[in-house]
Amino acid sequence: MYGWIWRHLPGPVAVRAALAVVLLLGAVALLMFVVFPWAEPLLPFNDVAVDPS
Amino acid sequence: MSRYEEPETREIPVPGFARRPGGPQRRPQAQPPRDASGRPRRPQGPPRQPPAKPPVRPPEPPRSGGGAGRAAVRTFGEVLITLGVVVLLFVVYELYVTNLMSAQLQREASAALDERWSQERELHADLADGTAFARIYIPSFGADWGFTVQQGVDGAALEVGPGHYKETAMPGEPGNFGVAGHRVGKGAPFNDLDLLNSCDAIVIETVDSFFVYRVLPMSGEVAGWAQGKARDPRCANVAPLQDEQGAYDETFGRVIVTPDRGDAVAPVPYKPESTLPPASQAALLTLTTCHPQFSDRERLIIHSVLTNQFRKQPGAGYEELLREIGEA
Repeated sequence: MYGWIWRHLPGPVAVRAALAVVLLLGAVALLMFVVFPWAEPLLPFNDVAVDPS
Repeated sequence: MSRYEEPETREIPVPGFARRPGGPQRRPQAQPPRDASGRPRRPQGPPRQPPAKPPVRPPEPPRSGGGAGRAAVRTFGEVLITLGVVVLLFVVYELYVTNLMSAQLQREASAALDERWSQERELHADLADGTAFARIYIPSFGADWGFTVQQGVDGAALEVGPGHYKETAMPGEPGNFGVAGHRVGKGAPFNDLDLLNSCDAIVIETVDSFFVYRVLPMSGEVAGWAQGKARDPRCANVAPLQDEQGAYDETFGRVIVTPDRGDAVAPVPYKPESTLPPASQAALLTLTTCHPQFSDRERLIIHSVLTNQFRKQPGAGYEELLREIGEA
């Protein structure tokens, strides 16, 4: 998977490394600002209130 | 000079051995040696002139049996490693990133509350969800510990700071002023709630008043209260609520309940059917958060009782109040 991505990045090694870092940061940002805020309410870590009976 | 001298390293030509920087390595010479990415390693020896044009990637070497299977296993492993990293990133998000986001929201809510307090004179009951209307301070968590209290306990309100159970009493009123807050992430306002002891102060600031609540006696302290902690000057107005009528016989300073006990914030805690008239009800403040930490299996409940009330004086803020109640 990662080998495939690396082979399909254009340019010399330095450019490829820079592109790989950009891709990595993009993936982390996507997780932090889109995926995790969406997934968080579905997970049981944030229930602090008692349910009104 | 050292008397000991390193023996001179000599290369002895041995057929079939090629000396490399990483140590001697036996390699069959039929194919050029390859590195991890599968491209041919540059042969040893003096550097050759680079070719004029970068060569096209050489064709993949013939795999020694089960090429597709190996690729599948490697991809599977990479997916597993990636999922592990994603889970670790989620922990980082939960414990740190949400704190940064909530700190920004809390700053904005605090500024908006100051703005509103500079214009209003009294607390309005008809608050929109998520609106900050009070501040909570716990002096034993440090003089700089303070959060705005929002209306409602939905996720959006609790992301900003502690939230008020809408159906419960307002600060200072008889009954139960119920407040929920996060214990992990999202600013974690109630991270240390389990460290509160009886008689610790919890201060609520509204537009016109400071209300000083103090944590009720723990269940183990009720029996010997008069002879024991009651002598502490901080406990001056704190007494166990347990009496002959038994209305408050389950209301202790710290209680751990299951999440379905919504009656923890009832006017008389754990007695939703109580017919005690409001005039006879104690003015309580109840804090709820998750328990144990990092889990939602139970809820940690802190009950406290109103002991003092101060009208806000111009120019006198929370620091002056701390001196007044002896917590500075």
